[in-house]
Amino acid sequence: MSILLNRQTKVLVQGITGKIGQSQTRWMLEYGTHIVAGVTPGKGGQSVEGIPVYDTVAEAVAEHGAEASVLFVPPQAVKEAAIQAIDAGIKLIVVITEHVPVHDVMEIREYATDSGVQIVGPTSPGIISPGEAKMGIMPGNMFKPGRIGLVSRSGTLCYEVSANLSGAGFGQSTVVGIGADPVVLTNVPEVLRLFEEDPDTDLVVLVGEIGGVLEEVAADYIKRSMTKPVVAYIAGLTAPHEKRMGHAGAIIQGDGRGTAQSKISALQEAGVQVAQFPAEVVKLVQKRLASS
Amino acid sequence: MRLYEFEASGLLIRKGIPVPRNAVVTSPQQAREKAGEIGLPVMLKAQVLTGGRGLAGAVQAAESLDQVERIAERLLTSSVRGLPVQRVMVAKKVDVDKELYLGVTIDEYSGSPVAIVSSHGGVSVNQIVKEWPESVAMQPVSVGKGLSLAEARKMCREVSIEGHEVTQVASMLTALYRVFESYDCLVAEVNPLARTTQGKYLALDAKLEIDDSSLYRHTDLNLDLESRIGNPRERKAREIGVTYVELDGDIGLIASGAGLGMATVDIIKQKMRPANFLETGGAITAELLYNAMDLVMQKEGLRAVFINIYGGINPIHEGAKGVAKYMKEHNVSIPVVAKALGNRQEETWEIFREHGVHVITDISTEKAIEYLAGLLEATT
Repeated sequence: MSILLNRQTKVLVQGITGKIGQSQTRWMLEYGTHIVAGVTPGKGGQSVEGIPVYDTVAEAVAEHGAEASVLFVPPQAVKEAAIQAIDAGIKLIVVITEHVPVHDVMEIREYATDSGVQIVGPTSPGIISPGEAKMGIMPGNMFKPGRIGLVSRSGTLCYEVSANLSGAGFGQSTVVGIGADPVVLTNVPEVLRLFEEDPDTDLVVLVGEIGGVLEEVAADYIKRSMTKPVVAYIAGLTAPHEKRMGHAGAIIQGDGRGTAQSKISALQEAGVQVAQFPAEVVKLVQKRLASS
Repeated sequence: MRLYEFEASGLLIRKGIPVPRNAVVTSPQQAREKAGEIGLPVMLKAQVLTGGRGLAGAVQAAESLDQVERIAERLLTSSVRGLPVQRVMVAKKVDVDKELYLGVTIDEYSGSPVAIVSSHGGVSVNQIVKEWPESVAMQPVSVGKGLSLAEARKMCREVSIEGHEVTQVASMLTALYRVFESYDCLVAEVNPLARTTQGKYLALDAKLEIDDSSLYRHTDLNLDLESRIGNPRERKAREIGVTYVELDGDIGLIASGAGLGMATVDIIKQKMRPANFLETGGAITAELLYNAMDLVMQKEGLRAVFINIYGGINPIHEGAKGVAKYMKEHNVSIPVVAKALGNRQEETWEIFREHGVHVITDISTEKAIEYLAGLLEATT
């Protein structure tokens, strides 16, 4: 079993006729994803890899009962595409697109509030429930079915850590890449909650990186609400701390937060073991599972 | 992208925030001429993309035209925190009665804008918060609705701004919010907002940073991104579409994501020193990796290059062709080690191997770096 996505989930691909949309649709189908339709405005009536294409999300939902949508549309079209999907009643949206203007992300986020939709990204590698289905760009051969839940800000690092786990025999229930942008649409604590409630996840791996306060907030959440063991890895230990948002941003985030050290201390205080390097995650997972 | 003060001032004016009369000059003679038009005394302000200009001596008052020329000459041949001064702003000097702070930024975690006002200004907002916490009001803003005048007035009253000052400051704050909203800012600050002895409000300095991802809808501003990047290799990186940060070591790095790149830097640093951080994002083509190789190899004293890429969205077999082409054309004599996993990995390995790239098929970056360190030890 898995969270968010399984082999029955009826998936829609927005931006299916683009170069990336086409090639990724092929990989997703090959992996077993139940793709029912695609959407590209103005390309209704065509087909991609045998999948029918519609002009609007509403049509695809009416014809095929699509429940989830993965977006490969250009950055300037993301806001409109996401809002269309929310309006059509899609319950899970994954935004793969990079370089989406942050003001658009804030608008989508506000629009999605209270609509009951789970929207992930942007700059997300996607969601994969190994052996079941994937929505996104993750290379399938890095993952194996199993009982580890993994949530990551970085795409490539979630491949690296998952591949290390798979290689050591630790498969994954679901791997969620929330995206590495400063503002994301689903935050880590929300994914942690889903893993905590999932009967088929035994342990959660959190892959973070420097900047922002996500890991600090996640640490608070873990301390308060999680019973399952959590292992973390934070990238960028040796990178110079850069205040991405300038001074005004720094005072909101609070002095001294956002650094690798602050994240590691917060997580350790919440009982999370933190790996120094990606492959070390495997050793910590082994240890935690043996002791629980 | 951070804007120069003169660019930011222009945008403030468009949305109704007045600034002292000013002109931007590039020569001492021009400074003299403009100061004559504006009227003495004036402030001369070096236009560089760094804070703390006052402390660095980059903002100076001039009482006479001779003094204007002398100071302009000095500023235009100087550097501020390593940044050469190419332009100087000549601005009417105003008599300041009181300084305040206005700001709008993004609370990343909650994903909403936050408006900030303080009845103290002129020093960094960090210092304001530390020394006079009761003088600062912050308010999350709905992106859909924007900042209303009523909300702004309430914020002002919270920090003891009183009387008719409330209306003036609140309307400046809503105007600053419109700047933030209209130009896709990550941060918009007026610091200080000055009340002159005549009771007028003027923005004496402005800091705006625009979201790079939104620049496509602000082409009318004619902002030139490349010219703002000092390091020539970092500028080149921008042109070819990768993120490059120069570091002080001798192991070149190409990674296909920021997280993986940072992790690889951490791992290299255990035993060696990385020459750079470079990440491609999801846009790898043969040409992009050819250009990335070219960029990384430009650094002198390089001992090896490590390529760490995943085939998810990226066609790594295409990327490998670009690296191969570079190897062939440039007769690369230092070791190039690649870990490339994911879709079409076997095909990728084949191309690399044919062109003398050491291929690591192990899944861990630690192992790959160990191998690279071993190679270097064996050759020295």
